[in-house]
Amino acid sequence: MSHISRRKFIGTAAAGSAALALSQGANAAPAVLKHSRRSSSQEKTEISIYHIWGTPPGGEPAATPAPMMQVIDAFNAQSDTVTLNTFTPGNYYETLQKTQADLAAGNPPDLVSVPWAFLEYAVEGLGVRSLADVAGDQFEDLKASMSEESWPLVTKDDTIWGFPWGLSTPILYYNADLFEEAGVAPEDMFDTWEKFAEGARTLSEHMGGKPVLSLQYNKDWPAQTIIQSNGGRVMNDDGTFGFTSDEAKEAMQTIADLDKEGLYDRGAGPELRPNFLSGNNAVWQASVASLNGITNEATFNFGTSTWPKFGDKPVISSTGGSFLACFTQDESKYEAVVEFLKFCASEEGYGLWNQTGYVNISNHDFERLEGQEPAYEQYEAGLIRETNWPGARGVEAGSTWDVYCERMWANDISVEDGVNQALEEITAIVGQG
Amino acid sequence: MVATSAQHAAAQGTATETKKRAWTWYRITEGMTPYLLIAPLLILMAVFIYWPLIYSSYLSFFDWNFVRPDKIYVGLDNFTRLPDDPRFIQSLKGTAIYTFALIPLQVLLPLGLALLLFRTRTSRLQGAYRVLLFSPTVIAYSVAAIMWLWIFNPNYGVLNKALSYFGVDAIRWLSDRDYAIWAIIIVATWKTLGFHMLLYLAAMEGIPKDYIEAAQLDGASSWQITRSIRFPLMTPTFFFVLVTTVISVNDDVFAAINVLTNGGPFDSTTNIIYYLYQQGFKYFQIGAGSAVAVIVFVVTVFLTWLQFRFVERHVHYG
Repeated sequence: MSHISRRKFIGTAAAGSAALALSQGANAAPAVLKHSRRSSSQEKTEISIYHIWGTPPGGEPAATPAPMMQVIDAFNAQSDTVTLNTFTPGNYYETLQKTQADLAAGNPPDLVSVPWAFLEYAVEGLGVRSLADVAGDQFEDLKASMSEESWPLVTKDDTIWGFPWGLSTPILYYNADLFEEAGVAPEDMFDTWEKFAEGARTLSEHMGGKPVLSLQYNKDWPAQTIIQSNGGRVMNDDGTFGFTSDEAKEAMQTIADLDKEGLYDRGAGPELRPNFLSGNNAVWQASVASLNGITNEATFNFGTSTWPKFGDKPVISSTGGSFLACFTQDESKYEAVVEFLKFCASEEGYGLWNQTGYVNISNHDFERLEGQEPAYEQYEAGLIRETNWPGARGVEAGSTWDVYCERMWANDISVEDGVNQALEEITAIVGQG
Repeated sequence: MVATSAQHAAAQGTATETKKRAWTWYRITEGMTPYLLIAPLLILMAVFIYWPLIYSSYLSFFDWNFVRPDKIYVGLDNFTRLPDDPRFIQSLKGTAIYTFALIPLQVLLPLGLALLLFRTRTSRLQGAYRVLLFSPTVIAYSVAAIMWLWIFNPNYGVLNKALSYFGVDAIRWLSDRDYAIWAIIIVATWKTLGFHMLLYLAAMEGIPKDYIEAAQLDGASSWQITRSIRFPLMTPTFFFVLVTTVISVNDDVFAAINVLTNGGPFDSTTNIIYYLYQQGFKYFQIGAGSAVAVIVFVVTVFLTWLQFRFVERHVHYG
């Protein structure tokens, strides 16, 4: 029988508690990457990237790695000098949250996929590095590797702040079987909004009164395309708000009118994709980057289309997706970052990435995927960058506009009152910045 | 001889001194033991609770995002602008609805279930009942959300299908502002029901049998035993459940809001905790988020104090 004295007990308990606390602390630490160091054994510079296309913590890795993971794997396999570690915190918001926390802790990732709409915030709020600073004398080579049209999307105040990467645009997916059964010709229905409403009535009747059109997730994104296609702007070139113009109001009213007839699906964000895939609505707006996923999941014949026009006015859509932003704080790693970006722009790297369905903005020719045509049509007609709401509270301003778009389209508020109230609130928010 | 006596006296004095010192040391260690034992916990609480509390109170006076080099002092602006923010007002409305709906559902409903389950304690099926009722507590919200998304789906969800047998038209549970908040309340109740039920059940099983037997010998009915013996002896557990529910009720619904509706439609399912999250982590306004956190803390402390002041007097600690 062993005897434990009080002193021994206290000492053991204290040591045990300290050990437990330390181990808990170690366990509680997030699964962050080991970056910012050079591996002595392999003499490779380790850098890191946070992006949305991998498997978030706790998720099941896909059987076939996502194209972005294929790009990273291929880069690591061919590079003798750089190892790129990858981490997917979740969606764009979660990726930015993690980046912000790591920046605050002084240990940021070297590269992050940042939505085009957050360029303003990345520059003003997060201190992203300019590409010229990172690339140094390789800047012009890097610039020449991607299409000219893509660079203005990452330019603010005449400075390029990132590497253009995932360029999407909202397009319409439709259930071709339902169209055929209802006797509606897609090319007629998607010609103008007037014809769209007519076709939607026929489709809805065929579907037992179900809504026809659903607009995925953030409503401010499709709203931008609809407003622009009627000659309006969400934000004018001079930085003033344009969403109270007659053109904007008329465009917003188009969807509100569809809703009045029960033709617009008000479903919650997570319900809309399953509704389309299960044949419970016939037309679903989403990013062209969803093409790969829909091709794999749809159990019916589907097609894609550009947006209907307002009379003779051209469709002017907006961008979506993200650019690669550099947050490297260690200048000695700039070269490694540039090596990866050059690989991204290479035929091999971009070829892997191009499988997603994003618009090809490289200078390489790749065969277009079936269903991508509407996205290219919109791209070639000229895309306007996703609205970058100004000021330190710009993200909140954008979210406010999103809620008002949702309310106007669901007739929770009239378009007239909606745009005016949105203007009042957004002006107050931006003014507080 | 004199010298020897002196030496003896000195030796005796030293021994007494040593004993005295040992006794003093014993008293010190005796007194310190509890402090040493709780020290690790206090350190953890200081690092993860008290320091963040102090620091977020400090941050509530600044406009900052943790990253920008310029931390701008804004005084009380982060507090004073809140009443002018329609989304904050909407979040307060949501907070009130969640609080008034969920406190009875999370405090009284589990009590009823525990009473029913207690009556089946001799049944072979009691284990199965317990597992069925407790399992939602251990299911991750992310998993539960997928399940509830299917249940609530307006087109093919099982809930609308069941309601259709009673002639109820299809309800858009997650996208109709009149129903979405109730969908969240249903999920939050389902998620927390089992844990509170288990606490009540443990309290009932902890009541000494001789009290019950004595009452039965005196001819007390089952309801009289429940009302006059079980309920009073369960009041400490009831009080604990009430206090912790009031503290955590709006925190508990956060995950359901986040995974099912993201606060929508039209911000109708937000509450003050979700508003705090939006400010701090979606809009990256750490100062504004901290101001809301300070308000939540003060209100929670006040509500807890009220309960201790007015409810605790009815608690029978045995």
